Amino acid sequence: MHTALRTIFIMIALGLIGWGLFTGEDLSDARWLAMLFGAWVFLLLGTRIPLPSSMPTFNHSLIRTALVITTVFIVISAQLVRVQVVARDDIYYKTAIAPDGEIISNPRLTASKLNSQRGQIVDRNGVVLADTRQEDGTYIRYWPVPSTYGVTGYYSPLMYGATGLEGSWQRELSGETGTNAIEHTIRSLLGMPQQGANLHLTLDSYLQTSAMQMLNGSTGAVVVLDIKTGETIVLASNPTVDPNQLFTTGTDPEAATYWQTLLDDPETPLVTRANIGLYTPGSTFKTVTAGIAIEEGYAQPDTVYTDDGFLDIDGRILPEYNRPDDTRDQWTLADGIAWSLNVVFAQIGLQIGGETYWQDAPHFGFGEEIPFDLPVSQSQIANNRGALSDRNTVADTGFGQGQIQITPLQLAMIAAMWANDGEMMRPYLVDSVSSPSGSTVRTTSPKVWKSPVSAETAGKVRDMMVNAVDNGSIQNAKVGGYVIGGKTGTAETSDDRAHSLFIGFIGDPEPRYAVAVVLEGGYGGENSATAIGRDILVATIERRP
Amino acid sequence: MRYRPTFRLTEFNLLLIPGALAIVGMLTIFLVGRGAVDWTWRDIWVSLAAAGALIGTSITFGIRGFRGDQVLFPITATLAIIGMLMIQRLTPSLVEIDPNYGFLATRHLMYLAIGLAGMWLVVMLSGPLRIAEHLQRYKYLLLLLTLALQASTYFIGDEVGGARLWISLGPIQIQPSEISKVTLVVFLAAYLNEKRDLMEASWRLGPLELPPIPYLAPMAVMWGASLLTLVALNDLGPALLFFGVFLAMLYIASGRMIYVIVGLLAFAAACWVAWMTFSRIDVRVKNWLDPFWDPYGVGYQPVQSDYSLASGGLFGTGFGLGHPTYISQVQTDYIFSAIGEELGLLGTLAVIALYFVFVIRSYIIAMRAEDGFVQLCVAGLATSLGIQTIIIIGGVLRIIPLTGITLPFISYGGSSLVTNLGVVGLILYMSSLPRRA
Repeated sequence: MHTALRTIFIMIALGLIGWGLFTGEDLSDARWLAMLFGAWVFLLLGTRIPLPSSMPTFNHSLIRTALVITTVFIVISAQLVRVQVVARDDIYYKTAIAPDGEIISNPRLTASKLNSQRGQIVDRNGVVLADTRQEDGTYIRYWPVPSTYGVTGYYSPLMYGATGLEGSWQRELSGETGTNAIEHTIRSLLGMPQQGANLHLTLDSYLQTSAMQMLNGSTGAVVVLDIKTGETIVLASNPTVDPNQLFTTGTDPEAATYWQTLLDDPETPLVTRANIGLYTPGSTFKTVTAGIAIEEGYAQPDTVYTDDGFLDIDGRILPEYNRPDDTRDQWTLADGIAWSLNVVFAQIGLQIGGETYWQDAPHFGFGEEIPFDLPVSQSQIANNRGALSDRNTVADTGFGQGQIQITPLQLAMIAAMWANDGEMMRPYLVDSVSSPSGSTVRTTSPKVWKSPVSAETAGKVRDMMVNAVDNGSIQNAKVGGYVIGGKTGTAETSDDRAHSLFIGFIGDPEPRYAVAVVLEGGYGGENSATAIGRDILVATIERRP
Repeated sequence: MRYRPTFRLTEFNLLLIPGALAIVGMLTIFLVGRGAVDWTWRDIWVSLAAAGALIGTSITFGIRGFRGDQVLFPITATLAIIGMLMIQRLTPSLVEIDPNYGFLATRHLMYLAIGLAGMWLVVMLSGPLRIAEHLQRYKYLLLLLTLALQASTYFIGDEVGGARLWISLGPIQIQPSEISKVTLVVFLAAYLNEKRDLMEASWRLGPLELPPIPYLAPMAVMWGASLLTLVALNDLGPALLFFGVFLAMLYIASGRMIYVIVGLLAFAAACWVAWMTFSRIDVRVKNWLDPFWDPYGVGYQPVQSDYSLASGGLFGTGFGLGHPTYISQVQTDYIFSAIGEELGLLGTLAVIALYFVFVIRSYIIAMRAEDGFVQLCVAGLATSLGIQTIIIIGGVLRIIPLTGITLPFISYGGSSLVTNLGVVGLILYMSSLPRRA
């Protein structure tokens, strides 16, 4: 056969193998095998080199046989490269469901989890929140401060997987990444168990525990952020879960029973409300309406609105319950914040209009994916753009009802933004990652995430919120010696369980910390949400002046 | 000239590799097992003995004035040492699963010792006993022996896992197909050498050019025996091996592709019938294309083998640090996966390279040989080892359906190890016979 033709055949064979190896990621085994056999046939053709006819038959046919064996070994090598390197991860992590419903996965996955020393999670003061101890050769994960479940999550590799930081920082904690590459390689060469990296949090476990105590068993959430940096100081959700009861080294009926009670609990303790719970913001959203109105030039804090007890919106009567003086019917925007006047904000909402709301909402993070160390539910300003063409929905949006859904974390971010010259910081929990030997592998630096309004606008909203505490309806939030601003809210829900909310900030007078509190079912009303917000802010600033 | 001593320097130097491998590997096994740098000479006496035996073999060959090939034995020794280490490493893990596996390591060492001794004896005694001459003269006896061995498994064989591959002789079990593989090759070599000229000729029947049918009669008997093996043993592996060797030798002796093509077509047809007829073969085909169809049943081994190979990656987990024992019976059919897991792609490529070099080196020996029988015998024996390697590795890697057969020199199994080392002895001896100018 001609040399050029043989070369082409060899090229086709190598091309087929190369293509199958490097582009056919989703290639089924059968297809890949078909390609491999095709490549083999071309290899056979390509290696039919001409042999001198003077050569004895025996040598002649033996060389042919040797060439055939060579092509087979090339095919075997190609398959080895695929199985061990190219498609390695696909095969290694492959799971399938057996006909009887049992799931099969690589048994090495669970074995390696119990054989690796998972990294610690410590709070900002070095208090250990999650750690690993060795018992009879296996590593037991435990959580000394169970109230921080909302942050750490649970880790149950053999039964329920992992949530919280245990889940989202799995690779670092297990030592897959984040540690020193040389250290990792040495340990793996020596067959020593991998050591995971440690997470150093911005969380203050003392304040976290205080917040849980302040919630006092009520269903709800408390979030405290550092205004300037976005550091998450408190991220408390109640009810909570004891992750220690979910860790098992085998199948554990007690863990299964506990898991079932968690699933059966109508208060859904597995849902960490601070970052996952979606709530109607109620009047706390009036700060956003005010901010948009000022930023877009529709109003100023001293713009006067008429509020004589009700508002007729296309035939629907919106009553006003919050006026401190029923005889007065002229109120400024600032009064509207201070006394939480729905009629005023319905009018501002209509001024802004649905389209502007829809355009501006993403600047406040609505509908956006919030970058955080834990998963955060996506908020919304309305179900869809069309919903905001309805004037009643827009009016309701003005004072925080309508179709708005938001997490406590994002509410705290908005509160902090007002006190931070309109700059919304990216919130974070993991301040730094350190290798098992203690050296810092990486640190997080504060970053501005969004700038929805100008510093001037933000200052105006901030001052109105301070005014609400100093002179308005939430004077119970006032504490001597600090500048505190705030806004309460009541979220009417479909099942008649109104939720109480509070957002606010504290400064000395430099703005320091922002808070968001949500109390489901409104036990104790807005006053107790406000009280919790005030107490945790004061506790925070006194602990970290 | 026959007894002029020599020092086999190339062989000696090459043997330092498996010797060092044995010692380092065994140390690794103990150090990994203990997780600390703590060992005694007792731990590695086996390796020292093995290394000593390898070197001793080479030196005694030299003293005897043996002038055969110096590369084949080091290759064989390296593969055998890898097998020995792998079995030593797997035994403790297997014992954790089932205490009855405790005997594996010791028995394998025993087989290895017997095999090496057998190889030594074959090299030392073949000349004085004029073995090549006798093998040729009694070729039909070998044919009968082959058939008898094949038949024996059918009549007195033990059924293991649905296949009959073993016969019990007192306390030991023998896998007759490992022995009959060799007798078949030697018979074919002798027969084809005798009829070589006639095989190359052809008959004319009108416009058709036909092979010399009368001389193919014994071949047809062999072919029938292979198929009967398939039916009787209820397993594809040995049948595929026999038939592959048969076709290869027919081709090597005659140079006629037509035998191979007709033979392959006939074998394919037979396989198709077998696939349709025997559920066991149907299962193997399903496992080949997607073992996950029954991952806890018959697909368990191939699924675990895939996981094992994948976990090895490029460099492997390291010797003693993987979990190859998730594959049941890893020490026989699936030992290549264990190598893949712990030594990685580099290890598996190295192992198949050793087999490749072994086959090619043997072919060169065959081409250099003067005697036609020796040529065919060496080529056939090497081809049988090559095909056996391809069948089992191809099966483990799921390039072809898996068939139960051992990985030469490495798998656990006395019959296989002893026979294959004997084969190496025979090739070595034949490499010392007069060469073509």
